[in-house]
Amino acid sequence: MSQRVYITGLGMISAIGNNVPESFLSLSQSKTGIGKINHLTTRYKDEFLAGEIKLSNAELADLVKDNNPALNRNSYIAMLAAKEAVLNSGIDTKDGLRTGVISSTTVAGMSKTELYYKELFEKDEHLDVLDTHDCGDSTERIADYIGNVDYVTTISTACSSAANAIMLGCRMIKHGQLDRVVVGGVDALSKFTFNGFNTLMILDREWCKPFDENRKGLNLGEGAAFVVIEGENALNLRKGKPLAEVIGYANTNDAYHQTASSPEGYGATMAIQQALGMSGLKPTDIDYINMHGTGTPNNDLSESKATIAVFGNQVPKFSSTKAFTGHTLAAAASIEAVISVLSLQNSMIFPNLNFTTPIIETGLIPETTLLHTPLNTILSNSFGFGGNCSSLLFKKV
Amino acid sequence: MVKAYINGTGCISPQNSIDSEWFFDTINPAKGDYFDAIEPSYKEFIAPNLLRRMGRAIKMGVAAGNIAIKQADIQKVDGIITGTGLGCFEDSERFLLAILNNDEQFLTPTSFIQSTHNTVGSQIALIMKCHDYNFTYVHRGFSFESTLQDALMLFEEGKETILVGGIEEHTPNFIILNRKAHKFQEQNTGLPIWRSKTPGIQMSEGTAFFVLNKTKTEKSLASLDGIQTLYKPKTAADILAKLISFLKIHNLSLTDIDVTLMGFSGDANFDSRLQELLPTIEKESVAACYKNVCGEYHTASAFAMWTATKIIERQMLPKVLSVSDKKPSGIKHVLIINQYLGINYSFTLLSQC
Repeated sequence: MSQRVYITGLGMISAIGNNVPESFLSLSQSKTGIGKINHLTTRYKDEFLAGEIKLSNAELADLVKDNNPALNRNSYIAMLAAKEAVLNSGIDTKDGLRTGVISSTTVAGMSKTELYYKELFEKDEHLDVLDTHDCGDSTERIADYIGNVDYVTTISTACSSAANAIMLGCRMIKHGQLDRVVVGGVDALSKFTFNGFNTLMILDREWCKPFDENRKGLNLGEGAAFVVIEGENALNLRKGKPLAEVIGYANTNDAYHQTASSPEGYGATMAIQQALGMSGLKPTDIDYINMHGTGTPNNDLSESKATIAVFGNQVPKFSSTKAFTGHTLAAAASIEAVISVLSLQNSMIFPNLNFTTPIIETGLIPETTLLHTPLNTILSNSFGFGGNCSSLLFKKV
Repeated sequence: MVKAYINGTGCISPQNSIDSEWFFDTINPAKGDYFDAIEPSYKEFIAPNLLRRMGRAIKMGVAAGNIAIKQADIQKVDGIITGTGLGCFEDSERFLLAILNNDEQFLTPTSFIQSTHNTVGSQIALIMKCHDYNFTYVHRGFSFESTLQDALMLFEEGKETILVGGIEEHTPNFIILNRKAHKFQEQNTGLPIWRSKTPGIQMSEGTAFFVLNKTKTEKSLASLDGIQTLYKPKTAADILAKLISFLKIHNLSLTDIDVTLMGFSGDANFDSRLQELLPTIEKESVAACYKNVCGEYHTASAFAMWTATKIIERQMLPKVLSVSDKKPSGIKHVLIINQYLGINYSFTLLSQC
């Protein structure tokens, strides 16, 4: 039953670039995308930083080449990133093979709903937000934008969403249900999430400092990233070129608290161990970990402890790239999957920006400058509200 | 091909489905153009300290999950998979209105925390201390279907017991706005739901949970043999062709299907392809409906699966669901053909076990 699953196309839009080449440039120049808030309407725009995509909705509409007024920011960026991934892979969805789209999002159309919600009761305008508010909307728009898609579904497991989309895609290929799948996640920045995280008091007013003793919280970001994954049979049939292989994945639940991670990182430890177990690799085989590393006191300590639980005193090189992009919620894991593949392809570890002081309790020190080093296997972690923990393992081809 | 055995069910709907003895004998009509779920007294299912903070979707989901687990008589599951179109909508709306009404000030985090779509699944994991597989699907009329597809794959991967469920709640504001957008019509149009000539649904809500088991036990009520989703099929003929090949995988043809539950929503635009299929289904099988009693929502197919399980258990098709006088003789296979907005179609096959 089991065939190998390869990543064959990358697409990404976030604060560090509108496509993969731009993102790679920012990463290799250690240039963060986090800065002053320009597009989001909020009373806090001068008090906080965010990782915004540098384009307005009108500019995004031009790029997508679609003036449909029902489209929202979530759909624009999802369509752009998914299309980039499809073009990058070279697949032809009209060739008769079964293509799926598995996307993920947490707040979906909220960035538009929140602008018009009160008006909806008073006027007869913008009622289309009722049709575009839900999580399935952007997924179906991606499917129709790509064309000839046989299967669609959408996942929402908070900040681990896209990792689960990648995992589900791999499983459906291995089970013979699909030949290739466009998998990933999307979340446009909204007042809703911004205020939610602010109310939880886990936003840093300065640049976030993942894994630093003095970290204060996360910077929110926005983005969409998709990868095309293909079974080896479909790939061989079209003589396509793989970019990386997905060799392990796991999904567990911390079952500790609705929003907080357990102090010892129980769910995270299990996710990492199970992903390793699936790949047959030993902890010492891992060359680099792209951490979840949000910059919150709770996550980074819990994740550090889980890392030590699995790797002991031989913790691989690691970094969080969230200080580049901000925390993009449902898109985080697919953005980091794209970054991981770029790392494998270019033998580069992108730095953990803004780090100065190790966490006293764990003493772990991330890579803080761009490192050129051969990489074969990368572990990528994503954890979310509701105790959702997912780990993915990528291998160089 | 792996099957799943349904070892426990729990259902909260606009009908009295919370009562294990109820079998479509008394029917609550829609409240004009919408249905409200009949909620149980939650105290017997949920600890008071948890209950106080929970939104309605969470309460309905946790209670229905609890009922299913009790019926299956199990202590632990190997995974929890939920499906919901709009998630914890009440909490989302509450937090959104608080932001808008107070210009982003004086906010408290509870409704934000509970607004995430995976809240029901994670609350059940917390209560059951389940560290295993946990997934939430949020794709319109595929939300619940995806949970079943996933569970069947998990069984092939070696898991033994999975809890799946569909959850949907509406709010007064949600009803007001959708009514304003002309998405509803009164239930009493003078025509049966499968023959509607006018647009509009009766918006509804509810939750249905199932304990699925890889192996058959003395608790098994029915088997789930297969599930397939169809995204934007072009014509009724396309749907029929896909249905025939779906049944063929299970060595069945339409004439083997004793009851076919069809997802007529009452909106003539969305139902047109099912209306076109109805004569064929009536000829080969016994056609029935369900949204005339549960209303329309993203995860109405979970109510349909609960209904199919009951029909197999009781060996009877309730009269209120029948679309003709034709009666099934012996009910071995029940097929659900669901549709949502005329875009998301699905086939779910259940059998006597």
